[in-house]
Amino acid sequence: MDIKEIRRLVKLMIDNDLTEMNIVDGDQKISLKKGPNDREQGRVIVDPVIVPAAGPVVATSSAAPANGAEQKNVVDEPESDLIEITSPMVGTFYSSSSPDSDAYVSIGDTVGDETVVCIVEAMKVMNEIKAECSGRIAEICVRNAQPVEFGQVLFRLTSD
Amino acid sequence: MFSRILIANRGEVALRIIRACRELGIESVAVYSQADSNASYLHLADERVCIGKAPSVDSYLNIPRIIAAAEIADVEAIHPGYGFLAENAHFVEVCRDCKIEFIGPSLDSMKLLGDKIRAKALAKETGVPTAPDSDGSVETIEEALDIAERIGYPVAIKAAAGGGGRGIRFVHNAASLKSMFNQAQSEAEIAFKDGTLFMEKCIENFRHIEVQLLGDRHGNVVHLYERDCSVQRRQQKVIEETPAPRLDEGLRKEICDAAVRLAAACGYYSAGTVEFMLDEENNFYFLEVNTRIQVEHPVTEMVTGIDLVKWQLRVAAGEKLPFTQDDITTRGAAIECRINAEDPANNFRPSPGEVRAFVAPGGFGVRWDSHVYQGYNIPPTYDSLVGKLIVHKPTRHEAIATTKRALDEFVIEPTKTTIPLCRRILSEQKFVAGQWDTKYIEREMMDE
Repeated sequence: MDIKEIRRLVKLMIDNDLTEMNIVDGDQKISLKKGPNDREQGRVIVDPVIVPAAGPVVATSSAAPANGAEQKNVVDEPESDLIEITSPMVGTFYSSSSPDSDAYVSIGDTVGDETVVCIVEAMKVMNEIKAECSGRIAEICVRNAQPVEFGQVLFRLTSD
Repeated sequence: MFSRILIANRGEVALRIIRACRELGIESVAVYSQADSNASYLHLADERVCIGKAPSVDSYLNIPRIIAAAEIADVEAIHPGYGFLAENAHFVEVCRDCKIEFIGPSLDSMKLLGDKIRAKALAKETGVPTAPDSDGSVETIEEALDIAERIGYPVAIKAAAGGGGRGIRFVHNAASLKSMFNQAQSEAEIAFKDGTLFMEKCIENFRHIEVQLLGDRHGNVVHLYERDCSVQRRQQKVIEETPAPRLDEGLRKEICDAAVRLAAACGYYSAGTVEFMLDEENNFYFLEVNTRIQVEHPVTEMVTGIDLVKWQLRVAAGEKLPFTQDDITTRGAAIECRINAEDPANNFRPSPGEVRAFVAPGGFGVRWDSHVYQGYNIPPTYDSLVGKLIVHKPTRHEAIATTKRALDEFVIEPTKTTIPLCRRILSEQKFVAGQWDTKYIEREMMDE
C-alpha cells in the first residue's frame, strides 16, 4: 500500500467524517485513526500503521508508540510554561539521522541551544535542526517521516 | 489532467486559480506566509502549507520552500500566478529538475522573451514593428551618446532584464544621459541582477495596446484580441478595457496577427501577452512580452467567453486547443478597474489593515475578483490590490455607466482605496472619447 493510497483513504475519512478505519487487504492491514483535534478543516492528522500479517503481531489499537508521541500537527495553545521548537522550514521530519539510529532526543532529555533535536528534509537535503533554546523535552509533537510546514510545532519543552 | 497542483501565489490570483481547479476537479494546494495565515480563500483550497514568514523572500519568492511544499503535498504541477516567480526562468528549471510541471510557457521561450534585447530581435525577424533602438546592448556612456544622436532624443534607457514598467529611464538630452547612464546600470544590477541596458526612441504620448495569446503544446497559437491599458499611473495600470476604442478593424487585425507571428516564431504556449505602443499617427511598436497570465485577463474572458486560467491548466496537461482563430469571436465591451488599498488624497500612501466594513457590488454584467472580505486584514507586506472590478456590457457606453454604478455601490471602510480615482477617470471627457494615453494622468490630473 503506497502513500498515494493512504492519502486517498485519509480523504475518504475526512469526507465521511470518520474517526477510525481498519482495512484488511490480502496480507496487509492498515489502521487509521483521526487525531483528537483538528483546528484546520480538511487537514486531518493520520497515524497509519501498516501491519504485514507475516510480521510480528502488533495490536492495531496500539497506534501510538510507547514514547507517547502526540498525533497533532496543528498549533495548539501552548501552556504558559512550555517552550516550543517550531520547524524553520517546509519538509519531512525525521527523529533520527538514519532509520537504524536512535532518535536524537526523547521525552525527558535536556537540550541546549546547540543540541540537534531532529532532521527536516527538504529537496533531498537533510537539515539538522538545533533546539536554539534550553529545557527538557516534554512532548514530541510530530511523527517520524511526517510532512511539516513552516512554523509547525515539533517539540514542547519545560524550561528548567 | 492533473489530479493535484500547487499554487505558488497569494491573494486574488491564488483564489482565481483555486476556482479554476475546483471547476476542473483538480485538487489545489495553497502555500501561504504567516502574514496570510488567516485569509479565508485558503480554506477553499484542498490543502494549505505554511512556507515561511511574511517577507516575500522568505515565502512566495523562496524557491526551496515552495518546492519542498510541492514535494510533501505530492503535486504534479505548480501554477505561479502573476508576479513573484511567474517569470523566473530559474524556477522553471528547478520545477523541471524536480519533475514538477510548470504551468506556463517553455523555459526557452521564457528566457528568450524575458531578455528584452532578444525579444526585440525576434520582433524584427518576424516583421513586427519596433521603435528605433540601440540594436543590442549599450555598454558605455560614449556608445550611449552616439546612439542617442542617431535615434534622436528623447530616448529611453531600459534594463534588458526589466519588465512591467520597471527599469526604465527617460532622457531628454546629452547632459542628462551622461548623468543617468551609470545610475541606470547599477539600479538594473540591483533590481534584476543584470545591469545590461539597451536604448530605444521614446514614443511620446502612446497608447498601450496589448494582445492576449493562448497556445498549446501541439504548435497551435491563437490570439484573443486586444486590450487597451492606457490608463496608467506611474507606469502601473489602473483601468483596462476591450475592445480598444477608436482602433479600426484593419489595424486591430495587423496588431493581433503580429503578436501571433512573434509567439509562433518561438514556439510559445500557455497564456501570454504581447504589448505594443500605439503612437498618435497609429503606428504601432513592439514593447515587450509578458510570459504569464496577467492581472487584467478577465477583461478578455468576458468578451470571448474563454476561461484563460482553465486553458492554462489544460494546455499544461497536454491538451490541444479545440478552437481555431476563426472560432474566436468577441461580444460587447468590458472594462476593468483595479482597486488598490491606497489613498489618492495622500499621494497614494498604502492603506493596509483591517477592512471593518465591506460590501461588493453586483448586478447584471458585474464581476468582482477579490480575496478581500469584511474582517480581512490587508497585510502591509505585499502589493496593495484589493480586487478587480470587471464590467461587461453590449457597448462601451453602457460599460462605463455600469462601472460607475458599481463603483458607487462599494463599501470599504476604513481602508482608503483608489475607487475615487477610477470614478473620476470614468467621467473624464477624454476617457469617454477614447482619447487617452499613458501619460494622461501625470499630465492632466497632476493634483491626483
